[in-house]
Amino acid sequence: MSNEALYQQRYDRIKKAINLELVDQVPVVYMGSAFAPRWHGMTMAEFCENPESSFQVNLATVKRLDVDGVNLAGGGRITPLLTSLWMARLGVPGRDLPADSLWQVREAEVMTTDDYDAIVNMGWSAFFGSYLPRVIDPQEFGMSMGWVMQNTPRIQQAYREAGYVIVCDAPANVNIPFEYLCGGRSMQKFFLDLYRIPDKVKAAMDVIQAEQIAAIKAAPPFGGIRGIWVGGWRSASALVAPRLWNKFVWPYIVEQVEALVSVGITPVLHWDQDWTRDLVRLQELPAKKCILNPDGMTDLRKFKELVGDRMAMMGDIPASLLAAGTPDDVYAYVKDQVALFEGRGLILCPGCDAPINTKPENMEAFVAAAREYGKVG
Amino acid sequence: MANELAMAMADLDEEKVQALVKAGLAGGVDPSALLNECREGMTLIGQRFETGEYYLSDLIMAGEIFKTAAADLAAQGGSSGPTKGKVVMGTVKGDIHDIGKDIVVTMLRGANYEVTDLGVDVPPAKFIEAVKETGAPVLGMSGLLTISFDPMKETVAALQAAGLRGRVKVMIGGGPVSEQVREYVGADALGVDAQAAVALAGQWLAA
Repeated sequence: MSNEALYQQRYDRIKKAINLELVDQVPVVYMGSAFAPRWHGMTMAEFCENPESSFQVNLATVKRLDVDGVNLAGGGRITPLLTSLWMARLGVPGRDLPADSLWQVREAEVMTTDDYDAIVNMGWSAFFGSYLPRVIDPQEFGMSMGWVMQNTPRIQQAYREAGYVIVCDAPANVNIPFEYLCGGRSMQKFFLDLYRIPDKVKAAMDVIQAEQIAAIKAAPPFGGIRGIWVGGWRSASALVAPRLWNKFVWPYIVEQVEALVSVGITPVLHWDQDWTRDLVRLQELPAKKCILNPDGMTDLRKFKELVGDRMAMMGDIPASLLAAGTPDDVYAYVKDQVALFEGRGLILCPGCDAPINTKPENMEAFVAAAREYGKVG
Repeated sequence: MANELAMAMADLDEEKVQALVKAGLAGGVDPSALLNECREGMTLIGQRFETGEYYLSDLIMAGEIFKTAAADLAAQGGSSGPTKGKVVMGTVKGDIHDIGKDIVVTMLRGANYEVTDLGVDVPPAKFIEAVKETGAPVLGMSGLLTISFDPMKETVAALQAAGLRGRVKVMIGGGPVSEQVREYVGADALGVDAQAAVALAGQWLAA
């Protein structure tokens, strides 16, 4: 079969999974930023500094595993990208950290409470531009993001020519305002702000949200799955009291999802941590238009029971299982997952992403188990 | 029935706690008695967390209210008397995340345990040194990244090599930590959240 035919077969498989149709084979996709370079003997410093290396090693990993595709394509420098999502400084391997260690977000109160007012007064984009020097060299950031914009079409083409599908193929990511502000303020300070100065926080959130919604609605057309990574980690149900979550988290998720769906984009709710408490709220989102992408902490049985007839799930092989488990453990986990979903609405994928210390034999077991148990029709 | 200060603490009413502490001190109430009332509030908070009424954000807010009140009362000579026991806590080598560890430290202190907080990126030798120096029978290790698993395992091995494993109970916690990881590390227990860590300390130090 040609690579293009393979691509079409895999594309159809993933699309069917999103639409909750019966598949011939449960699709399996790769996700693992730091595992790929470690598996290929590339230092984290090289992976972080060279945008081309990060793309090439991700593609090489997908080819080596021969899965259906990839959650995120990789390519570009990961630390500036994370800075933009977290509004925080990062420790970078080869600069601040040993060359082969993992990058880490440096939790600190960089944003001040006055910055909430600055966001309202300046607007989000202008504020973000003025804020950047506190967390990264703006020139470095601009070059890095420029590289991504310039090279994304080439990267997407390379995956397609090799026969692999990119699920989150939108040229951008989306976060709810909660995550940006929580990263910039630090979790401790931000959570206190939610109790002490809720109106100030909400005013800033509304400004951020309005700009993001406008950007979503102006998104240029693009092909493929038309998936977009919509991040959530510290806004998780397990972390945020319901009265806060209902005010500062959920309304923003709903508005973003509805805006994305209205322009034909599939939100991939990349939700780390445990969201079980609020899974029922997913019933409020448009049916068969989103993918939940949890990390192993959210209760999938509850998900299946509450929204299994409305939404697909991409995940959720836990990072701890890939790092500390055995191939037999991985096999058992995949078998259970496939049995739970019965061939509909499941895309097998490492939860969040395969960590740096994933045992290669566990990654190989994941793919082998997915192929063995995932045969449906 | 908890008193007004304990209830204000439990209800996360920061202004009311501060006002009641201030009024109590001005009225000549024993600072130690006020501190104990704050601790009683923290106990109620722990119970509300256990029953699913409170979440992590509530624990962070509770910790902040308690820390401020406790510092004010300690400055006036307030003390809760002998602590329930000693615990050494830290985020393991290679991991610089402190949020989860800090919440556990605050909740343990709120429950009147004497905690030696070693901070983040703590190598095994530093854990061993602290356990030796303090004589703490409980060691808590935190990690948010999967790269924390091996340093946790190395620390348990170092405890063993130092001849301390028999008298020190080890608990681990953090986002990716699971029962499987506990087994891999060789820890005694997994603290799934801050309140579980307090319960484990209570169980081990009461024994």
